[in-house]
Amino acid sequence: MAEEKIEFELPVTEEHVKRFAAAVGEDDNPLFFDAQAAQELGLPGIVAPPTFTVTQIFQVPRDEREQRLGANLDYARVLHGEQEFVYKRLPLAGETLKGTMRISKDFEKEGKRGGSMRFVTYETKFTDAGDDEVLTAYYTLIQTAKDVG
Amino acid sequence: MSEQRVDTGRIFPKRMTLDGVTPGMELEEKVFGPVSREDFVRYAEASGDDNPIHQNEEYAKKSGAPTVFAMGMLNAGYLAKAVSEWFGGPQYLRRYKVRFTNRVWPGDEVVCTGKVVSIEDGLVKVSVSASRRGPGPESLNLDEEQTAIVGEADIELPTD
Repeated sequence: MAEEKIEFELPVTEEHVKRFAAAVGEDDNPLFFDAQAAQELGLPGIVAPPTFTVTQIFQVPRDEREQRLGANLDYARVLHGEQEFVYKRLPLAGETLKGTMRISKDFEKEGKRGGSMRFVTYETKFTDAGDDEVLTAYYTLIQTAKDVG
Repeated sequence: MSEQRVDTGRIFPKRMTLDGVTPGMELEEKVFGPVSREDFVRYAEASGDDNPIHQNEEYAKKSGAPTVFAMGMLNAGYLAKAVSEWFGGPQYLRRYKVRFTNRVWPGDEVVCTGKVVSIEDGLVKVSVSASRRGPGPESLNLDEEQTAIVGEADIELPTD
């Protein structure tokens, strides 16, 4: 029996924020490296880059996600089609976010070359220690049509 | 003795306010890369996306690609940086949505462009895109430039 949702923790460590920022070419913005500089802009401290929460892959690997939420995707023909983030604020270095992941959309549509394509969206809502929403991420996978003919 | 700030060469993006934005405004092109296999390895390690198709030449070939290619979210990370530089920092972002349309290959530049679509209830609505620019793998005979990402961003700017 598939579960409705997966809850997990995402620690936002300063070291990981810096490493992630450097990997997406953000190594020249003090907001991701220097708490004092961030405070000068009125932020509580170092923040994580906007796409940082994709690192949840460490917390909920694909196989676990598949098994627990039961999308039954055939990963030989799955692509990451879309990604969306809706922000209240950026994560702060030093906090641990709580993630709640569920399947928010699952539908099929006719592919251009026949056969049906399936779109599955995993929604993950991230909240902070005070249970306030930080951001919500939408990870959409596309299962392409089986080769026809 | 007072603490000395070390100059790291880092600088905040230029501050932007709502009255500096008008619908139809084109945003200055930002170019990243050329991207390399080392960039893919570094992003894999930092993001947790360890799909071998982005790192392992043999695996990529077995999967039908001529060589390894960039993670979509790496390109989306560059594009997010462009958005943040256009509007004074990442902290003003309220929504960011990307759709992946083409792969980015080693040696490609990632060219980010954007345009202000409208301003609704104080929220700046922007259409954004990232293109790959470069020769690409020889066997694919690609156009010099192709759209890799189309997306949208909503920005909430300070009013003064």
